[in-house]
Amino acid sequence: MRTTVVTDEERKKAFKSLRKAEVVEKQKLDVRYHIEDFDVNDRPRRFLEAFAAILKHSNYKMALDHFIKMSAKCSRCAVTCQVYQATGDPKDIPCYRSELLLSVYRRHFTVGGLLKGRLLGSGYLTDEKIQEMAESFWNCTACRRCSLECPSGIDHGLITHLGRYILSEIGIAPRALVVSTREQLEGATQNTSAIPVPALKDTLEFLEDDMFEEKSVHIKFPIDVEETDYVFFPAVSDFLMEAESLMGIAAVFTATGDSWTTGTGYFDGINYGLFYSDRMLERIVKKVDEEARRLKGKNILIGECGHASRSAKYFMPTYCGGKDAPPVINIMEYTYKVWKEGRLKLKPDAISERVAYHDPCNIARQRWIINQPRELLKAFCKNYVEMTPSGENNICCGGGGGTVSIDEIRPYRTTVGGKLKADQIRKSGCEILVAPCANCKKQLRELVEDQGIDCQVVGLHDLIYKAIIFDDSLVTKKENEPEGKED
Amino acid sequence: MESWLEFARGPLFRLSFAILILGLLRILFLDIWGAYKAYRKAGDKSMPWKLIFSRSMEWLFPVKRVAHNRPVYSIFSILFHIGLILVPIFLFAHVKLWKRSVGISWMTLPYNLAYWLTVSTIVFAIALIIGRIFNKSSSFISRKQDYLWPVLLIIPFITGFVCANLNVDPKSYQFFMLMHVLSGDLIFVLIPFTKIAHCVLMPLSQVVCTLAWKFPPNTDEDICTTLNKKGAPV
Repeated sequence: MRTTVVTDEERKKAFKSLRKAEVVEKQKLDVRYHIEDFDVNDRPRRFLEAFAAILKHSNYKMALDHFIKMSAKCSRCAVTCQVYQATGDPKDIPCYRSELLLSVYRRHFTVGGLLKGRLLGSGYLTDEKIQEMAESFWNCTACRRCSLECPSGIDHGLITHLGRYILSEIGIAPRALVVSTREQLEGATQNTSAIPVPALKDTLEFLEDDMFEEKSVHIKFPIDVEETDYVFFPAVSDFLMEAESLMGIAAVFTATGDSWTTGTGYFDGINYGLFYSDRMLERIVKKVDEEARRLKGKNILIGECGHASRSAKYFMPTYCGGKDAPPVINIMEYTYKVWKEGRLKLKPDAISERVAYHDPCNIARQRWIINQPRELLKAFCKNYVEMTPSGENNICCGGGGGTVSIDEIRPYRTTVGGKLKADQIRKSGCEILVAPCANCKKQLRELVEDQGIDCQVVGLHDLIYKAIIFDDSLVTKKENEPEGKED
Repeated sequence: MESWLEFARGPLFRLSFAILILGLLRILFLDIWGAYKAYRKAGDKSMPWKLIFSRSMEWLFPVKRVAHNRPVYSIFSILFHIGLILVPIFLFAHVKLWKRSVGISWMTLPYNLAYWLTVSTIVFAIALIIGRIFNKSSSFISRKQDYLWPVLLIIPFITGFVCANLNVDPKSYQFFMLMHVLSGDLIFVLIPFTKIAHCVLMPLSQVVCTLAWKFPPNTDEDICTTLNKKGAPV
């Protein structure tokens, strides 16, 4: 039932490695993403040690024990995997990818596997297998769509997540993610985009001036205010690349009058730990919690970003006190709530172009936020169209699982990973594609550019900014504006 | 032959049935125990029970997700499973054996329904094997047991069908019956140790998947200590 297979030419382009031959030789690893230098000796043993340590201190063992007994190899996951649908290479079937790690687990961590291995003297983990895993786990966009289609309930996304985590413990992880995380946790700026606090303040002041010019309303980005209802953590790259999304969010808060703030102690919602290391995931989540507690905020508010929202929503209770952890909400939930309460007014038919909504996997796959943004869009878009499949079953942008931040694999992302999404966008005929996620937005912009699709990719709050109606009491009349006919 | 048959459906059956039940109880217990331990360790103990229940039901009664993904294979697989589960448990002749040996009985399938369910199980099993061989993605990921299981599973169906519905001479009847019982015994013994364990583990899949994402807190420090990475840069 394959629908889209890339041509040989596209395949050549997608899989071309930009890494220098001497680096590949030195690192003894032929993958397409850059890796910082690491110890290449005795990798299988170190992989198994890392695997054992992770199993000892995590809950993965329970899942792996279940999965190895369940896998029926029905290949239904193949039909839903957009990577396999594009490449047609059976090595991209999610069940095959999962088996790479499950076979290591079975052979080295189960009694049956150990006995069989000893008796037959076979099945030892080899450098070749590590090479295959290092390649395969980063071909996957971790969208977890396949997990919905597995009758046995095997979560291939979880296995990819674990595989990447183990690899990272022996030094195999995309440099782009590692370097950003290092800056976020140990660098001077404490954020993945390396934005210093003075630059952040300048940017926000500039945006405030800009918004006053446009709307004649004093729309503020409150900074370091204590005891607010919401402490705001966007994907920090939004401060550089998604000004309009931030302006829309600030406009909503100005319209409702609710208190919110951005903290200068820590202001990055991005959490690449979700993509390659649970240890980093934990450290970053704790930083968000620390800043929210410093500012004595009631709720943690995450901006338009799928993985940032999921890492905070699902892992804040994990690492920061269970039920006592600060509540986490996504900005779309807030905006929807205040709109439903009648505290946010939107101009009907403010947008006349054909608009479609893209569900970020990290937000929709678990049926978290699906209908709210759609209802909001339908309230002010004349021509809203739905892409199929959508919601829980959405097709990933093609840059999920952190792959979007790996610039050197852009041809892979826009030729293979996003192929099905590109077809879907084309079919919808949308002129504006709304993607409330920093990663999706970057990937989709590159995708429409590389695939030659005439479509603008924006955030939900970019459009809300255009449609918002402010109360008259908030609108300042400009000095040179004539006040009626006094003369 | 008769003494072989007596042995196969007497002590051998009791042994293999005991292995089946104890084996399934063992893996079920280990699975639940593993899930319980994971729950105890998890930092976040909230469970989306509604979502877990709804997704579990979607797969225990798989109607919703059939049409859009390998529909022919999926429908064949469902029909195969229906006969595979119902016939051995509710066949009149089987229930009668239980009644005679341990004194318990339950509802039975009408003869015609049992007849057609047996035929359909055999037909769909063969279709599934053919599908596995000729579907490129299926055959690539298939192991030996994925081909052997449907073959093994239809042996008791074919032999049982012959004994129940065809007029064969007594000697052949005994042969088919011996094959019927022996293959059944073998299936019982193998179930707990192979992928067919999904017959008891499947209802737990969604709970396990949800719990797997519920990580224990403070593992960063523990793993750093174990791997001797304390104080190492990111």
